Amino acid sequence: MRKTDVLVVGAGPAGCIAAREAAAGGTGLDVLLIERDRAIGAPVRCAEGVGSAGLREFLDPTGADWVSRRITKVIFWAPDDTEVRVAEGDVGYVLDRTRFEPVLADEARRAGAEVLIRTEACGMVRDDGGWKVRLTGPRGEQEIRAKIVIGADGVESMVGRWAGLDTRVASRDMESCAQYVVSNIAFDPDAIYLHFTSRWAPGGYGWIFPKSVGVANVGLGMVALKSDGRNARQYLDEYVARYFPQGTVVGLTVGGVIVATTVKRTTTDGVMLAGDAAHMINPLSGGGIVNAMKAGRLAGRHAAASLAEGDTSARRLQRYHDDWMALLGDDHLKYYRLKEALTKLDDAFFNKLARTVNAIPLEKRTLGRIFAHALVNHPQLIPVAARFFV
Amino acid sequence: MPVTTVRRVAVVDNDLCDECGLCMPLCPPEAIHMTRKGLVVDGDTCTGCVKCIAPCPVGALAMVDA
Repeated sequence: MRKTDVLVVGAGPAGCIAAREAAAGGTGLDVLLIERDRAIGAPVRCAEGVGSAGLREFLDPTGADWVSRRITKVIFWAPDDTEVRVAEGDVGYVLDRTRFEPVLADEARRAGAEVLIRTEACGMVRDDGGWKVRLTGPRGEQEIRAKIVIGADGVESMVGRWAGLDTRVASRDMESCAQYVVSNIAFDPDAIYLHFTSRWAPGGYGWIFPKSVGVANVGLGMVALKSDGRNARQYLDEYVARYFPQGTVVGLTVGGVIVATTVKRTTTDGVMLAGDAAHMINPLSGGGIVNAMKAGRLAGRHAAASLAEGDTSARRLQRYHDDWMALLGDDHLKYYRLKEALTKLDDAFFNKLARTVNAIPLEKRTLGRIFAHALVNHPQLIPVAARFFV
Repeated sequence: MPVTTVRRVAVVDNDLCDECGLCMPLCPPEAIHMTRKGLVVDGDTCTGCVKCIAPCPVGALAMVDA
């Protein structure tokens, strides 16, 4: 039976970086990164937006072919379509994830990891201090012994289930998302648009993320409990018909974004979960790419260190969980409280807020000033702010 | 006349399903599985709670008599 020190399940941002860091640990570990799909980075199940500072911790986006568009502006749309321009500057990037993930996988391979596509984990059991994992691939089934398994296998995380970790989600914490790639439409190609509207995206928001001039990811996330009975794609069909009737729909993506906080236990003996698999998504923005890479970096480093120490117990790997909570997990508790408070406010409130903010001159429209004005003019926000800072 | 209650369970329409996996963590008894042939609901484990039905972005899940 084949053996490996570290098996990483899922070659997304969390898995690729975890494999890279585990292999780069300098201790000559065998690291195997497996991906179920035929191609790394495809199919895209993402709006592809990423913040500049977080991304730069991992890769330099300057002139990179995996960048679809550099973003310098954020534009909010209120429920009544009032436009509010906020940040101008180094906001972030819209990626081409069909090119981005292959670059990350290449980093993992160059650090010494082996990368296998079209290979799926389909079960695992505890075995001799590690895990015996059943894999299926083009050449049939095989079993592999791994001292550590890193589950970077997305919202559906089977690794978590097999390891006995609870990765279930409450309905209210699941955003049902649908997105079209729409071409031949008019919008500012340097801006991302966020549309807060219970009519089109109850419990979530709509977005326009530019892929190039005239082409954008147009999507929305909604909470099914707040739906009028339609599903996300039905909402999106009406949204696109209303706002981009002249556009050509050239792609469809659907998926779930877990807007909760990190699962209580991300680790057990010989297992760590990273990224969406451990609910490491910012529950306010729904962003998860950089979070996944940061978690993957921690998981990969703890894998290498714990193997060097000869201790892969749940107790040892708990340090990965603690490091994650200190880095971002604890912040997500605050963002979650803010999300909960915001969902109690209605469309009329956001319409009023948009007009208040637009009264501030654009050059003075910093987030701090918006916040101060919002508190003065909309006292109902004060408990929201209080909860955020508690 | 005796009343028979029919157990209802979720099923996936694999023609509509995009295999995004959104429904899987929503299922309390973890009855939904991703297989090589697509998503499958284990009818013996499904409790009929319907939590997976409305959130499906493409409406690929429905309740049927077990």
